Amino acid sequence: MNPSQGPSLKLRRTIALSATLVVIAVFWGIAEWEAARLGRPAFFTGFTLLSGLVILMLLGVRRRLPFWPLGSVSTWTQIHLYVGLFTTAIYVVHVPVLIAGGMLESFLSIVFLMVTASGFYGIYASRTLPKRLTAVEGQHRFDRIDWVRHQIAAAAEKACQQISEASAKQVLQTFYQQALSPFFVSRPSVAYVIAPNGNRRRQLLGDLKELDRYLEDEGRRVAGQLAALVRRRDDLDYQFALQLRLRCWVVFHSLLSLVLLAAALVHMLVVLQYIG
Amino acid sequence: MESAETIPVQRPSRWDEPLDASMTDADVAWLRTRGPFNQMDQSAFPKATPLTGILRHDCRLRRVEPGEVIVREGDYGNSAFLVITGNVRVLVDSLTETQLGRQPTRSIGWGEALTRFLRRSPHPETRTPEQVSLNAAGGGHQSIRRVDDHPAIFLQDIDGVLRRHESVSLGPGELFGEVAAMYRSPRTATVIAETEAALVEIRWQGLRILRRDRRFADTLEQHYRRHWLPVHLREIPLLRYLPEENMQRVIQATELRSYGRMEWNADYRKTRQLHPAEQIASEPLVVDQGQLPTELIVVRSGFGRMCVRHGAAHRTVAYLGKGHLFGIDEIAFNAMRPESMSALLYQHSLHAVGFLDALAIPIEVFATEVLPHIRKSELPESAQALQRSFTEKRKDRRRHRSDQRSEPAASFSHDPSQDVRHPTGVSFESTSLLEFVVQHRLNNGRDAMVIDLHRCTRCDDCVKACGDVHDGNPRFVRQGAVHDRLQFVQACMHCSDPVCMIGCPTGAIARDQNTGVVSIHDSICVGCGVCAAACPYENIAMAEVVDRKGRPFVDQASGRAIRKATKCDQCSGLPSGPACVAACPHDALVRIDLSESPPLSHWLEKRG
Ligand code: HEM
Ligand code: SF4
Ligand code: SF4
Repeated sequence: MNPSQGPSLKLRRTIALSATLVVIAVFWGIAEWEAARLGRPAFFTGFTLLSGLVILMLLGVRRRLPFWPLGSVSTWTQIHLYVGLFTTAIYVVHVPVLIAGGMLESFLSIVFLMVTASGFYGIYASRTLPKRLTAVEGQHRFDRIDWVRHQIAAAAEKACQQISEASAKQVLQTFYQQALSPFFVSRPSVAYVIAPNGNRRRQLLGDLKELDRYLEDEGRRVAGQLAALVRRRDDLDYQFALQLRLRCWVVFHSLLSLVLLAAALVHMLVVLQYIG
Repeated sequence: MESAETIPVQRPSRWDEPLDASMTDADVAWLRTRGPFNQMDQSAFPKATPLTGILRHDCRLRRVEPGEVIVREGDYGNSAFLVITGNVRVLVDSLTETQLGRQPTRSIGWGEALTRFLRRSPHPETRTPEQVSLNAAGGGHQSIRRVDDHPAIFLQDIDGVLRRHESVSLGPGELFGEVAAMYRSPRTATVIAETEAALVEIRWQGLRILRRDRRFADTLEQHYRRHWLPVHLREIPLLRYLPEENMQRVIQATELRSYGRMEWNADYRKTRQLHPAEQIASEPLVVDQGQLPTELIVVRSGFGRMCVRHGAAHRTVAYLGKGHLFGIDEIAFNAMRPESMSALLYQHSLHAVGFLDALAIPIEVFATEVLPHIRKSELPESAQALQRSFTEKRKDRRRHRSDQRSEPAASFSHDPSQDVRHPTGVSFESTSLLEFVVQHRLNNGRDAMVIDLHRCTRCDDCVKACGDVHDGNPRFVRQGAVHDRLQFVQACMHCSDPVCMIGCPTGAIARDQNTGVVSIHDSICVGCGVCAAACPYENIAMAEVVDRKGRPFVDQASGRAIRKATKCDQCSGLPSGPACVAACPHDALVRIDLSESPPLSHWLEKRG
């Protein structure tokens, strides 16, 4: 396969989106037609929905079979996205209200909506977070983040210990103990991981800058080093937060999709039982 | 001024690292009594590099035993061998992989891929005893064993091999392997020891100085001209329609030039840190911009950087690799221009990046022998434009002469599958990307792994997939130099100049002739780590191997853990193709040829 051939991504998207819309329209038309001749469109849409779910689950199956030439996972992800869109539309036809009545049915609706919502969030996240990750310095591997964090903490400690000027020693080491050490040694807070922001960084850097007036040459140089380490550490935490978010999202989405498939099968059995 | 900065000088400290520290005065004295050294003219050598010094520092004595494989076809090597006593055989036809102790790549089917996956051990890098050592597989034969201080591979059934394969015998005083050593090309034949023999291994640095001796130089030169230059010239696409008698005249006139250090990988870690301006300044100058063209430069191996002066510095406009031409625009233009127009000077300068081996064809020869046989569509644009404008002028004489050089190339029909599309090197739209690629020597990569960081969600599915199909141990790390949104990942690039292949004592690291994939043949890998140290990109990892239960294999003699070189093998033999590419959910990862720019630029274009 030659990676440089084939249509552009934009063109591919336009074609796939139009095709999906056409298919949705056709299925919707069939459901309407069936309703008009007093058939049971819910059967048709229900089975379509279930098949949709099965196709959606195939992405996870493909991912776990890396050794077979089953088409690239990225192709499967594309199929998944459009089938996801299609399934959502069919859901709307199948369950005209937002959340269906009945215990099992309302549970099923909620799970479906959560999976779908998380799916749409996933598209957004996987299209935007990588750019934000790329924008910060240093591309850290997730499994190495703890290690890098320790490195930074050790470097900061060393920088502080090596000060020889008495005045600088006093000023910087006090600040290190009070503000920097807790920051470097501990992991980022849960609040930061959920919503990373620049407050901590700004505050620490501002405070460090403040110290300048108590410092001479050597002290300022070390303060500069510490400031650089604060930035590095903050960038690292930012990387950690966003990468963790991406990872948690996949786990959430795929686990919940398993629950959904199970619930959908039970729903089908119940319905068949009830009718039969 | 600038050229003064880049004159290559021989520093006397060049022997800081001798090829073999155990060479003694007695060894040197003994060698001096043997041919061809006994006939060499001492006074021909510079004071800083006397003949005895070369023998001492650039040579090594090697004893080989009957049946020992000395060099293998397809290997890369830095040294030549001279037979001192005994006989060796050069095999004219190729041996099979198995005869050389290598495991041919076997394509496995779906079923086997599945069972392998299901039966994978929880321990990474597991091997069977047969995979750990060829001797275990060979039914008691010592196919791989040590001779003095080097490990060696032995052919089984030498007599049979010699009977079935055509071969040439070389005796005392005869040299082999010098073409591969001096011109950085794969060895063209396998050579085995016929009897016990003593050889001197001479590294290329030594060979170069030995050429100070006229007779030695003439012998080498004649041999190269007779046997190899025609082969090397015919490899150049532009010359492929050249009739035989023209070719003969080209061969006679062509000169060989070498620039820079062949061991570029040793300096690489330093040079990649340099600012581009400093790096360019440190690169040996091959041709300076603004000179009158006198010859066409053809890159035979190594890399060149094409620059133009820009402000106070140089700007890279393209990089050249094997087969690329420098100066063709100017020369073709000059050859076809009407008398009234002044000749075009070299529009660019050419620098050797690391090392560059070039064939220089004088312009007169090029104009008379080659130009008439080049297809019109393969001519550079300026010459095409010139040709077009001639035809037009003939039709319409009233028209003014225009500046042909800046005339855009009009579309003309050509057959892209037939024509050489990038005869003069490769360039990207973005200069910074180009400089980045050259700076990091990524243009060496024929199959580099590149990740689009704007799409990559850092999920590591690519790494996991690699581990899943490679014994639980991913063969690359998802890290590497970043330029803009591109990450050039540390996965083997299956380079055009595979420096990792130089120095492997058993030929365990080899390039597949058909696919170009460089891979490790486990059962003859002695775990010395030479390849891992040589790969400048750090894409080979040494791993301790265990059996399925996780028990480490250890060497019978020393008790030390057995290590094997591990690296990306492009998933050769697997039905899935490269698992990393297939596993990426966001189409963020490609394997791409960086020795040419179109694949990468097209890929980037496509993503907008
Ligand atoms: C409605 C039922 C859905 C089900 C049952 C479902 C199921 C799954 C499963 C099993 C995976 C694979 C997780 C893994 O890699 O292990 C997955 C991934 C994904 N889903 Fe869905 N999904 C659904 C809807 C959607 C929708 C509506 C969207 C967006 C339009 C979506 C977007 C994604 C994306 C982008 C991934 C890729 C995850 C990755 O980065 O590997 N999904 N989904
Ligand atoms: S191991 Fe290194 S030098 Fe050898 S082909 Fe791969 S990237 Fe190139
Ligand atoms: S599989 Fe693709 S998205 Fe995931 S880490 Fe690898 S390159 Fe990035």
